[in-house]
Amino acid sequence: MITHDTIVIGGGLSGLRAAIELHDKGVDVAIISKVPPIRSHSGAAQGGINASLGMDDSWESHAFDTIKGSDYLADQDTVEILTKEAPDRVLEMEHWGTNFSRKEDGTIAQRPFGGAGFPRTCYAGDRTGHNLLHSLHEQVTKRNIKVYKEWLVTRLVIDDNRCIGAIAMNLFDSELEIFKAKATLLATGGYGRIYKRSTNALINKGHGISLAYRAGIPLQDMEFVQFHPTTLLGTNILITEGARGEGGYLYNKDHERFMKRYAENSMELAPRDIVARSIQQEIDEGRGFPEGYVELDITHIGKKLIEERLPGIRQISIDFAGVDPVEKPIPVQPGQHYSMGGVSSDKDGCTPANGLYAVGECACISVHGANRLGGNSLLDTVVFGRRAGVHAANYISTIDAPNDEMLEDALESEKMNISELMGDSEESYADIKDSLRKNMQENVGVFREREKLEKAVVKIKELEVQARSLRVKTLSKQFNLELLNAIELRGMLDLAHTIALGALVREESRGAHYRTDHLERDDANWMKHTLAYFTQDGPRLEYKDVTITTFQPKKREY
Amino acid sequence: MITLKVKRQEEENVWYQEYEVEDRPGMTVLEALFYAQEKLDTSLTFRYACRGAVCGSCSMLINRIPRLACKMQISEMRKEPTNEGNLEVLITNKKTEIDNSVILIEPLPNLRVIRDLVVDMEPFYSLVEDIKPWLEMKENVPEKENLMDRDTQVKIEQYTNCILCALCHGSCPVAAKDKQYYGPAALAKAWRFYLDPRENEESKQERLAIVDSESGVWGCDTVYKCVAVCPKKVAPTLAINELRGRIEDKKEKGAK
Repeated sequence: MITHDTIVIGGGLSGLRAAIELHDKGVDVAIISKVPPIRSHSGAAQGGINASLGMDDSWESHAFDTIKGSDYLADQDTVEILTKEAPDRVLEMEHWGTNFSRKEDGTIAQRPFGGAGFPRTCYAGDRTGHNLLHSLHEQVTKRNIKVYKEWLVTRLVIDDNRCIGAIAMNLFDSELEIFKAKATLLATGGYGRIYKRSTNALINKGHGISLAYRAGIPLQDMEFVQFHPTTLLGTNILITEGARGEGGYLYNKDHERFMKRYAENSMELAPRDIVARSIQQEIDEGRGFPEGYVELDITHIGKKLIEERLPGIRQISIDFAGVDPVEKPIPVQPGQHYSMGGVSSDKDGCTPANGLYAVGECACISVHGANRLGGNSLLDTVVFGRRAGVHAANYISTIDAPNDEMLEDALESEKMNISELMGDSEESYADIKDSLRKNMQENVGVFREREKLEKAVVKIKELEVQARSLRVKTLSKQFNLELLNAIELRGMLDLAHTIALGALVREESRGAHYRTDHLERDDANWMKHTLAYFTQDGPRLEYKDVTITTFQPKKREY
Repeated sequence: MITLKVKRQEEENVWYQEYEVEDRPGMTVLEALFYAQEKLDTSLTFRYACRGAVCGSCSMLINRIPRLACKMQISEMRKEPTNEGNLEVLITNKKTEIDNSVILIEPLPNLRVIRDLVVDMEPFYSLVEDIKPWLEMKENVPEKENLMDRDTQVKIEQYTNCILCALCHGSCPVAAKDKQYYGPAALAKAWRFYLDPRENEESKQERLAIVDSESGVWGCDTVYKCVAVCPKKVAPTLAINELRGRIEDKKEKGAK
């Protein structure tokens, strides 16, 4: 049994920021991560992090843009916290060594981003996530915070609505171990890989979210899935919104700047849900290129500016699509990018279970509502990562050590589960996973309708049955990928089920959730958060109110 | 079809195994490895995460050159020889006229193999940590951001672009024979912090003293292999030369 006051599951930005806060408050904290922290998907974030640093800008203006962007589903009290604390968190990252791009006067440079009334996106070239991740990791290294690298948590242990730790598998030898902790923070990121086309890292299967779900914690607003408008044709690697922020144009095959038909004022810098739908509509109506894409043109920006501000996406386009954006437009198409939904948690990351916190993409706090603005997710990680750390540090000083017996029982039952997974079967992980990803892409995508969503739910149920008889035949103890995949598959199906069912039941269009059979937002019936609870027969849905403080819902136009 | 010839290892057993992979336009070496793992042999293992050449997980030896598997196109690999039998770690490959349908894949050198293509990265991480890779700010922390001119920011950026993939470490002849040698990535990181005007002078000098040794900048053979294999154009050897210069300057000043 390994004991720490607190454990942080996940070593991306949220997890690292939380761990630093806990450490600095004198708490014994350890990070458990299935990949070394610097390999986390946070490092792939490109465009930037929002903060109202400008003299003419204000947190109120940032809050309004965020709430309007969310199609009024975000909780306005948490958005206020996000936007008020933004400048402090960004300046703190600068003080910790993040190499932000600069203006002529030496201050942090800011670029325009979609849905924002002011250029408030701070950036480090187009490698902002990478820079923030390495800076935070450096601070974790400096503090000598213990990191259990390449361990997969397989279960959260809950004792009478209190989280007392977790069971995790060391990937170096496949042995299970108890982690006993007074507080547990989930910071495990998103689930993009349940979709066929996703910008997400291959490791993003939503496993952490599913751990909370199986432990009885509700998942909130799972039907709100962000599709990024511009992902590279073929690999669906992200091409940052910063490319449009720096002046890039979108063209269809007739070389028409089609955004004028969808958002005549904001054009390419409308929020992501709107631009993604516009591109998809162009493609669906035959105005895209035959392989299913449109063109993102930044050639007019010039080589010098591209090298200075967008060097990463230039390299990505060359390496993965054989196109140099200095000379030719980039072929792009929408792809799954971000989860607005996640483990239901509050302004301090608290979930309904005592001692269990969720922050970052795996959480739904809810600051992004039905559609997240670009530059707000990196901000979310450091603001709420820190806040959860503060709260957890206080919480653990008030409670007794957990009960060992419950943890030991959980270990035994988890050992049993793993041993039952071993053996031969007709089923294949690859087939079930590929089928799931195709199903989500085709039936729970940018445009949704009853018939397709019903089909999606039926398919997921079938796949759940198939997955139950999947067995693992590889016996190797070190880095058993087959075992890892089999363990994570169940969670992928769980999340897909909550997304598809939530989308089927929500008969309105709001933000990223767009129903072609219910085109309007319906505030009278649907101005509410979805809560999905695990049951053996599939998700049980409940609803809760949205917190509205300052900004009354209005029609959303750009 | 393309053949992946993969060096495999479990405990003491080492063997080469061939996988016939159905390739398609745009396929990368990493995708071919997934094809093999998912469809042909689920026991095969390797590391991966981003698949977009930003996370540094999938470092391995491809046709005897240290490279990121996710970044290498199968179509390009068809144009080069496997260099099988060549015991050296290479840095560039010649192009062949003939279509070569075999790709040789081996674990990243200079680190112990755990299984198949997964190596023990801990010694590498530990060497980086030895140079104290974090910013120690000056006293009087400003209320707002530190001001920095654009030229300095750009200079630092070349080194903050490092993704710690360890390809440089795998290519380095000094790292091959001296396990204490900090290696290209750690030394490039040391220069990154030396360049940073936000760092306090004492910490700069302390780090300079750490790398002023045979395990540090004086251990480098300046063969520029690390520069050649870096997927992020970080140029560790240039950093090492700069650090050497600073150390010599300091000693000259001290002697006066």
